Parts: sequence; structure tokens; C-alpha cells
Amino acid sequence: MAFDPKREDYQRLALRFAHTLDAGDPASATHSFTSFGRRFAQDRDSLPQSDSDRAFHLVVQATDLLDYQLPFASEDSAAMLLSRGRECLEEALSLDPNCHDARRMLFSPTEAAFDARHQFLHEHEDEVGAACSAAAKTAAEDAEPERAKLAADIAMRPYLRWIASMAEVSLVCGRNRETISLCERLFSLDPHDAADARFTLALAYAKLEDDQGLDALVTRYSQLSPYRTPDDGWVLLSQLSLAHKRNDLNAARQILGRLIKIYPNCEYVLVRQSELPDGAFARILVTPYSEDEMILAVSEATVILQEGNDMTGRGVLGAWLAREVTALNPEAAEAAMRDMRDAREGGF
Amino acid sequence: MDAREELVQRCAIRRREKIGTLSDEGFAELVLAVRNDPTAFVDTPSEEALVALATALATYEQSLDNDDLLDDDEYTATRKRRLSALADACDRATSVDSGCVDARLVSILAHDLGPDDLLAQLLELREKVDAPIVDGDAWSDVFSRPSLRLDAAIVRTCLDGSRFKMTLDRAEKLMGSAPSDALGARYTAALAYARLEDEAGFDALDARFGHRGNTWSNLARAVLLYKLGRMSAARRALRGYCELCAGAAYALLKPEFVEIYLPDRPTAAPSSFEEAVLAVHESEPIIADVPDFIAWAQSQPWLEQSASQFADKNDFDW
Repeated sequence: MAFDPKREDYQRLALRFAHTLDAGDPASATHSFTSFGRRFAQDRDSLPQSDSDRAFHLVVQATDLLDYQLPFASEDSAAMLLSRGRECLEEALSLDPNCHDARRMLFSPTEAAFDARHQFLHEHEDEVGAACSAAAKTAAEDAEPERAKLAADIAMRPYLRWIASMAEVSLVCGRNRETISLCERLFSLDPHDAADARFTLALAYAKLEDDQGLDALVTRYSQLSPYRTPDDGWVLLSQLSLAHKRNDLNAARQILGRLIKIYPNCEYVLVRQSELPDGAFARILVTPYSEDEMILAVSEATVILQEGNDMTGRGVLGAWLAREVTALNPEAAEAAMRDMRDAREGGF
Repeated sequence: MDAREELVQRCAIRRREKIGTLSDEGFAELVLAVRNDPTAFVDTPSEEALVALATALATYEQSLDNDDLLDDDEYTATRKRRLSALADACDRATSVDSGCVDARLVSILAHDLGPDDLLAQLLELREKVDAPIVDGDAWSDVFSRPSLRLDAAIVRTCLDGSRFKMTLDRAEKLMGSAPSDALGARYTAALAYARLEDEAGFDALDARFGHRGNTWSNLARAVLLYKLGRMSAARRALRGYCELCAGAAYALLKPEFVEIYLPDRPTAAPSSFEEAVLAVHESEPIIADVPDFIAWAQSQPWLEQSASQFADKNDFDW
């Protein structure tokens, strides 16, 4: 899910601020708004805000701790980050019991077994959907159409994140048909796929060995994601997996070649095969086609890499990739293997 | 594979061909005579190779007896030596008759390869072996059985390599040429349908075999319904699996190491504990794909109770 929490925080306060200016005269409103950016960055408390805005800001802080700092923290500081993140989320909920993001994040993968998380998300989905839809309806009543649209859009985002989380969890739980129907539901609410659920969907089609489904998704990319072509790590790894499953190893090698061309340092990433926890708020933000994006794609593709009775512990496709890449680029593979050994020995 | 009995059948059929016509009673007498001393009837390289394979498999079986006394390192070394000796013996059988498909198959299997390399070698062998041309069920022709065993090994290797559609495609072909399915490709197919969450395919397979159910299909149904989120039905299916055979719950919660199938699934009495051990072992690729399945199964009080009672009764670890 490519949701930028900081940007959303900014948008929320900007909307709130704009409302307070409506009563005044337009000239001073323009002047006031020029100071908004500075006040947002340096003196946030001086800006008008509701408890739900404050709660969302705490969610942003928790996201920074849990999604952007925790995965890279030492063992000593991890517990502290986890507990500070939790405190932020609990405080957010006490300020705004309808802070769905905080509720969802408190039930994150570090906190619960997959099935328990799956059940929790399902149990509360309807009420979250109803609450967000009601909030969006109210927001859409704003007299200024552009503002109304943005406010309604922001009001729905917690629900989009909720469903996207459900899709990710169901994929990990091995409930792939459910992942597909959740992603389709998400597209009906979010036709331009702000949540980047198509990445999760591609993996579900690979899991079900549904070539036609994946081909149809690739065709739909032009509507779902007009600014990104179907050549991201997720869709290519899914296509590669399907070729491997058909035992068409030449086709799999060709797709591997494309991945290596598109993503920098791809060989290292494909041998290292790091497994990162899913972002608690949403899929963490990375630059498209960067090495970091490939790391994320490979990590989420664990469900297709680590399948089958493989003796190396990587899974059948994971082991095939490691072997192929080692033959293509032994230096990168050696560096990855060395770092894997160091990580095992050093605990990081 | 009952190599000795297949040798008997083959020698008897070849001898009948030499004799010309022989009544059914006469043939039955001949079979008895061959069974008494098969080697006396071996007069072609292909049966000679089969004798060598049968001896190699028997030697291998006997060498399994003392494993319990070995520590881990000794066991690993012994197992490696034993499989390597078996592969060598099979290669010697192949040098007697290069057409001995079973010896080639066992040799490949005994190399203990990963699923990708194993599949490549099995498919290479498949290219060299003619598919049986038999009216009716190919299993009824003892000379076709090696080819069918090769197909069954390919089916299982596809599943182990998480190639589930290919598993189904190969299993369908095998069941098409040998509908009696003595090699149990339907068991592997049931697991693949469950993993692909293909309920219609699973049901059609079940119907084709008269809805009789078996250890594999009962376990596969529980996994399938769990994946589809139909938890009450999944619970009932899990109960069905546990009630079908003694020790099924124990086999699920305490999976055992199962040695490579050489060349096919070991014989186990229907609905026995041994069969449940095999079914759970073969289901590992699809169970591992549903990370909370075992914890969910274990949370059913009746299942854990059944497993612990079975352990007590049989003096197994719990």
C-alpha cells in the first residue's frame, strides 16, 4: 500500500485550516495560508485541529517508529521502539475511538498470529466501512468541490488500508481466493489503486497458478495504474513463478533477466531474499524501481519463493533463483551469502 | 512395488508365450511353479535386470533395520551410504538391460535430489520410455507398470516442487491410462486441488472414485475448506480425517520423517496409522502453505485428546 502518512497528516490539517479561513476576507486568507506550511512544520499545536487529527498525527509517529525505524533497529532498541509505538497508538485510540488505523496497527503482525489478525480484521470490517463511508458523506458536503473531494477521499482511506491489510493477511494465511476477492472489492472503491493492492493480487494469482487471471491483471494495469507499467517486482516475480511452475525454465530465465535489467543490485537482493515484516500502517514508501522496492517485492513474494520440499530452506523457487543468480553474477551472490551468514551470527 | 511378484508374473507370461497356448488352469499352475523359484524361469536380460533390482531393494530394506540405534551424524552417513549403494546396484541392473525402467527410476530417486533436479531427470527418462499401448487399464499389463510408476513419481515430484497444475495434468493422464489407480495418483491430485483452492475439481475427483474418501482426501478437504474460510465445514472434515484411521490426529500433530519412496508409495493398510503418516508426509507442502492450520487443528480439544490417547496406548512420545 503506497499511502504516505505524513502527507495525509498535512492534508488533514490543511483542510481544517482552510475551513477556519472561510469566515474571513479572501486577502487575509491567502496571507494566512502562506504561513501554514511553516506552522505545520514548526508549531503544529498552534494550528486548529480536532482530536481525530491529533490521533492521526500519533498514528504517523507510530508508523515512523514501527515501520521505518524498527526493521533496522538493534535488538536493544527494538523493544523500546515497539513500546513507544504502542503507546502512540493507544493514545490515538483514547483521543479518537474511531481511529481505525490505530486499532488495526495495534493488531499488527508483531502482536498476533496470522489467523487471529485475519479474524479481527474480518470481524470489524463492516463497522469500519460504515464509519468511513458516513465520514466521507459528511466531508463531501463541503461547498467547495475540490476540498469536498479531497476530504471525502481522506475519510475513506482508513477503510482502504483496512481492506488492503486483509488482502495481505489472507495471502499469508494461504487463503488466495479471498485475497483476490478483497483486491477486487478494493478496486471498486479505489479505481486507481492508491493502495497498490495489484501487487498483492499478482502474488495471489501466482499462488493459484492462474495464468489467465495474472494476464488479465497485467492488461488492467493501464486503468489501475496509468503511471506505472506492469513491470514491477511483484508482477514480474509472479510471472517468473508461473513459468517455473510450468517447468518452462527458459521463460523463467528471461523474466529474471528483465528483473535484473530493471532493478539496481537485483542479483544481491534475489540471493539475499530478506524477509521483512509487513508495514503496520501500510506498505512502506519506497522509490519505484529502486533496490528498496525490489527488497519489498522479494520479501512479500516469500509466499511463492518458500514453497515446496526444498532441502536448502529457501523453498523450491527461492533455491532456483539463488542458483541461477549465482551462475550469472557470482560476486553479488557471494556478497549476499556473506551478509546472510553475518546476519545469522550477529543477530541482525 | 512388489518386485518379486511382478517378476513371477513376467516370467510366467514369457514362458506361456514360448509354450504357445495354455489354458487358464495351466497358466495358474505355471505361476505357482515360477513363484516357487523365479530365477529358474529367468531367460531374458529384462527379467535378469528385474532380479537384480529386486535383490537391491531387498538389501536396502534390510539395511533400514538398525537406524534407531544411530545418532544423527551416524544416521546421515549411513543413509547416504545406503542410498548410494542402492543407486549403484540399480545402475548395474541397468547395465544388464538398459530398458529396465524401474532400475533407472530407483537409481534417480536414490540420488536424493531436490524437486527441480529430480523432475528434470524423471522427465528425461520419461522421454526415453514408450508409454504403454494397452486396451483397457494399463495396470493390468505387468509390462506397463514400470512406465506407470515413473508417471506416478513425476506426479509426486511435481507436488513436492509446488507445481500444482502440472501435478494435476500428469495425474489426470496417469489415471486416464490406468483408471484403477493402483498407484494412488488420486491422493496426490486431491492435495493439489486443495492447494489450488479448486473445490469443483476436488469434488469431481471425489465423485469419480465413488465419494469413498481416504486418508489423503479427508485431510486435503480439511485444508481446502480452511483455505476457503468455511471453518465449521473444515472442522467437520478434520474430524472425518481423524475418525477414518487410528492415530490420524497423532500423525498430523507429530509428523514423522518418511524415507524417499523407492520407487513408489510404501504399502500401508487402508485407514491405518502407517497410512496417515504417509498422507501427512505427502501433505507437508500444502500444510506448510497454511501457516496457522496446525495450530488451529491442535486447538480442537477432541483432536488433541485423540492424539494423546493414541500416544499413551502405543507408548509414543507426546
